[in-house]
Amino acid sequence: MKSTEIYSSATHSWIVLGRDSQKSESIIDTNQYLIKSADEAIILDPGGIELFSPMLASLLKHVKLENITALFASHQDPDIISSLGLWDKAVPHATLYAPWLWEGFIRHFGIDNIHYQPIKDEGGEVKIAKATLKFIPAHYLHSSGNFNVYDPKAKILMSGDIGAALEKGEPPMFVEDFASHIKYMEYFHRRWMPSNRAKNNWISRVRELEVDMMAPQHGRIFKGDMVHEFLEWFARLDVGSACE
Amino acid sequence: MTNKSKVTLAIENFVRVANIVSNLDKILQEAKNLSLTAKNARVVALRAGDSAYGFKPITNFIDEFSELTIKTTKNISLLSSNLFAIALAVVRYSEFQQRLNTAFEITNHRDIAQLQHQGNIDLLRTMKQLESAITHLESYFEDILKQMRSAEYIAVTSRVEASNAGEFSESLQSVSNFITSAAKKIKQAINDNLKEMHLIRGALR
Repeated sequence: MKSTEIYSSATHSWIVLGRDSQKSESIIDTNQYLIKSADEAIILDPGGIELFSPMLASLLKHVKLENITALFASHQDPDIISSLGLWDKAVPHATLYAPWLWEGFIRHFGIDNIHYQPIKDEGGEVKIAKATLKFIPAHYLHSSGNFNVYDPKAKILMSGDIGAALEKGEPPMFVEDFASHIKYMEYFHRRWMPSNRAKNNWISRVRELEVDMMAPQHGRIFKGDMVHEFLEWFARLDVGSACE
Repeated sequence: MTNKSKVTLAIENFVRVANIVSNLDKILQEAKNLSLTAKNARVVALRAGDSAYGFKPITNFIDEFSELTIKTTKNISLLSSNLFAIALAVVRYSEFQQRLNTAFEITNHRDIAQLQHQGNIDLLRTMKQLESAITHLESYFEDILKQMRSAEYIAVTSRVEASNAGEFSESLQSVSNFITSAAKKIKQAINDNLKEMHLIRGALR
């Protein structure tokens, strides 16, 4: 599994892990994010069971196991958090931050040791040593209880499934040409995202944030002007296509 | 033995535990039927009066061992949810070991080696817990088998007494037949469970 540092400062750094060449073609490719600060670290959307081994091996290049103090699950999907039962044994003293709505469901993945810290609908924040991260509500995009993670210092928005692209092979880490990237995103957003109302509400709130990088859970990361282009495109897109 | 086969064995054991628990329902149902039969037989024996004099203490016996079997089976049912939890823990620790082995093949990091070591200790501990729970269960099943041997003995005695009960002979005979059939079904379910437990024990070793 590849790992790429996308942000680094005196206080903390962001690393994206993904593009696992050993991964079966039949499972969707995912981006996992590691944020480390001093002797603490959080994994955002740690991934599915199938990715646990390469994830663990890759993470240990960047962080000591005992320093992984927190996990975050944007929602309940298996590609997000079905590895929980294994992390529960690897980092038993960690805390999982996840939507309150999904607690009874996510616990089905097996959680005997890790502490489940429910995130309220209105969001919240967590400190990872010197880094402060905000949980931004993104309900119904696509899950009914769903959060993004915003880092005001790094100006990175981990947007979960928003901005996701289904692109085969090992695409580059960043979106280079927005127009040619649309074909990888359009069906996903029209089909997986159920609500135009939720979409517009999210766009208006995100426009108030300073976002240099928008980092989705699948596909390439949006940087600089690409973030603005995405918001413009998403605002125009009619979602909930299965009801047409 | 590879770790992959450990996961497979752990899952097979989990299925065996499910079979054991499923058989418990059969045992409990037959024991409840026996208890009902004892109550009905007591009424028939009362109506038969002196001609079924020898049958009355038999109905008490049937009642006694059926109640005992119900009690033992209910105790087993309490154990069975614990058995499920332990069998599931064995599956999870086995899978954890398998995933760690794959991670170690990618990078032989010290932290992974430590997790493997601790995971192995936890796996062995849960396997021992499973073996101990199986042994505990086995003793309960031996108790029920003894009760069923008594049931079969009573069925023979009751058949003799039923033959002396005049016009009530046929009804009491059917009671004897029912006891024989229920005891046979319960013994079969227990023997099936003992076989499953034997297989679990073999897999654990």
